Amino acid sequence: MVSKDCVAMILAGGQGSRLGALTKNVAKPAVPFGGKYRIIDFPLSNCVHSGIDTVGVLTQYQPLELNTYIGNGNPWDLDRSHGGAYVLPPYQSAQVGEWYKGTANAIYQNLGFLEGFNPKNVLILSGDHIYKMHYGQMLKRHKETGAAATIAVMPVPWEEASRFGIMNVDAEGNIVEFEEKPAEPKSNLASMGIYIFDYKALKKYLTDDERDPESSNDFGKNIIPAMLANGEKMVSYRFEGYWKDVGTIQSLWEANMDLIDDPPKFDINDRKWIIYSRNFALAPHYVGKGAKITNSTVTEGCSISGSVDHSVIFGGVSIGEGSSVKDSVVMPGAVIGKNVTIEKTVIGPNAVIEDGARVGVSETEDNKYASKMCTHGIVLIEGSAKVDVNEDIPKGSMVEVL
Amino acid sequence: MKRYDTMGIILISKDQIPPITDIRANSALPIAGRYRIIDFVLSNMSNAGITNIGVATESNYSSLMDHLKSGKPWDLDRKNWGLNILPPSMEKVSYGQIKGNIDMLAGIRDFILKSQQTYVILSLGNEIYNIDFAQVIEQHIESQADVTVLYKNLAGAEESELQRYNLLEIDDEGRVTDIEVQPYYPKTANAGMDIYVMEKALLESIIDECSARGDSDFVKDALIKKMDGMRVYAAEHKGFASKIDTMKSYYQNNMKFLDAEFRAEMFNPERPIYTKTKDQSPTKYGADAEVENSFISDGCQIDGTVINSVLSRGVKIEKGAVVKNSIIMQDSVIEEGVEIDHVVFDKEVVITKGRKLIGQESYPLAIAKGTII
Repeated sequence: MVSKDCVAMILAGGQGSRLGALTKNVAKPAVPFGGKYRIIDFPLSNCVHSGIDTVGVLTQYQPLELNTYIGNGNPWDLDRSHGGAYVLPPYQSAQVGEWYKGTANAIYQNLGFLEGFNPKNVLILSGDHIYKMHYGQMLKRHKETGAAATIAVMPVPWEEASRFGIMNVDAEGNIVEFEEKPAEPKSNLASMGIYIFDYKALKKYLTDDERDPESSNDFGKNIIPAMLANGEKMVSYRFEGYWKDVGTIQSLWEANMDLIDDPPKFDINDRKWIIYSRNFALAPHYVGKGAKITNSTVTEGCSISGSVDHSVIFGGVSIGEGSSVKDSVVMPGAVIGKNVTIEKTVIGPNAVIEDGARVGVSETEDNKYASKMCTHGIVLIEGSAKVDVNEDIPKGSMVEVL
Repeated sequence: MKRYDTMGIILISKDQIPPITDIRANSALPIAGRYRIIDFVLSNMSNAGITNIGVATESNYSSLMDHLKSGKPWDLDRKNWGLNILPPSMEKVSYGQIKGNIDMLAGIRDFILKSQQTYVILSLGNEIYNIDFAQVIEQHIESQADVTVLYKNLAGAEESELQRYNLLEIDDEGRVTDIEVQPYYPKTANAGMDIYVMEKALLESIIDECSARGDSDFVKDALIKKMDGMRVYAAEHKGFASKIDTMKSYYQNNMKFLDAEFRAEMFNPERPIYTKTKDQSPTKYGADAEVENSFISDGCQIDGTVINSVLSRGVKIEKGAVVKNSIIMQDSVIEEGVEIDHVVFDKEVVITKGRKLIGQESYPLAIAKGTII
């Protein structure tokens, strides 16, 4: 058996409850992003461009859509004879059968999978971040330093540092201390949740952690502190590019808007670092007479007859005559009728906005759709939900399927 | 289901449309933005459950092979059968020279022989249509015809249009009584679509017989000569279908995709048209973009004006450029202030700042791949 230099494991089991109605029926990594992608396309494409050809995707919460999406991994060039993409749900064994208790436990339960590839190193990723990163360079540093674990970090603004897991490092970049959301941060280097472990060390610490009934079986809370306490060599890998955790409705909306700035804050039209995705066969998009599209992205299968400004329009969306869509994210298959006005709204897949509706325009004190999750006045329309003819949906609403 | 007992053969069309067929076979011509002509027949076959398809090529096939590869987008990368790209084995061709489609079939005779399906659907890859082939095959079997020919009624079309087709004379029972090959004086408007269904055994005997006599044309030498003894039946295709064999027809057929009804038929969601994906990001519209009545593929960057046009993937329209009534293929760049009207640009054409290029509807200005003006 050929042993693998590095196998990646993507933690994709989280619910992403702060995304509200968007993750009612799908796991967060399967949430549509950027016009024709899903969030998980980013770590998967990064793996392929980094020369990592074996990727386990750990699913748990609402996995059906995610599992089907990944399939045999072909869209990411991950249908390989030895290696490739594997969906790894929790399973039942002779002794125990249980859900993934935490990030560390999820990997622990799949040590058998890793064993089959006999990897030298294991790359742990989360399935809910938007970024382009060459893991191969991080792996190179990991090997050069001979660390037991290498953790990707990025500088964040000092005033926000107390929201992150902060790594305190010495002059050589060795991690000396890890603080989860410190009140008074000593450094502004935040952990990105991207780890490379020496496989043997990982196996040992996961097994020890599993024996501790008090542990919450989490990499950040348990494994990393335990390794630091034991004096293992832990090294930081500094990342400077665009990176965004799209865990809230506002951050998801912002990250989509980052794509359409001129120049974009995050460039997905990079032919040297293509973001792959599974796409259904759709024709080019049609722009009708009387349409006006500016500062936006539009993709296959759309039919646009209205005006679109500063928005991200996903595949198969139709926008009727006289309608205006501004500062919005319209997910696949949504149907927007005629004379509709939409502002600063995230419209879920296959939602229907009927003629004359106004969404995200008006403001009112007593809004029956008001939701705490819809910060900054953003409106969220759940996938397959319907906004009736001439209905007025005020700012900050979350409209769900009844 | 009988249709699963059918194999498909696509003969790559040799129709020349310079300069865009200089570097690729006609069947590999880009159309409707992101597709190639062959995508339509291939998708139709795949949607009908046909899983053994041979594509007979003759020359200029590197572009076609690059497009088709393993057949994955059409779901034809199969353990059993699947997509087979077949350059001819010349030693099987009479006189070692390909003069007509019988010679192309003779060149892939071994493939046909070893296929185990009972029926075969044979087509020239130079037309676009969305047809339920499963139903065509059922109809062929029910009618007990020896050969079923698909045709389209072009009543009312101009003579010059009819002259491009093989015209069928059909009796009241739907039996074909005569075929005229691209006649100068058209007698009927029943335009043969170069799609034939028959038993594979019959095709094998036609190939062998014709080859033995040095005959080389499937219609002239097999169908017409054997019309009396063979039951050749016609099946009408009521939807759109169009042959692409001239620059004019290439241009017009691209422009048809601006019509909603035409798009709805061609991209019937029950029978999708598949093509190779290039993983382009969505198309980006800048602050000054003005786009109207156009069909636009992914990966474009539009900062200028585009009216009544079809853009392939990765096309760049810079600020102040005006593109009208044009077909622009992949990765072409229209720089600032350029004005173009009625042009067909092959891939990677660059029109530098401020140039003006105007063609006519009857004679679109075609520019070869990679040209920089």
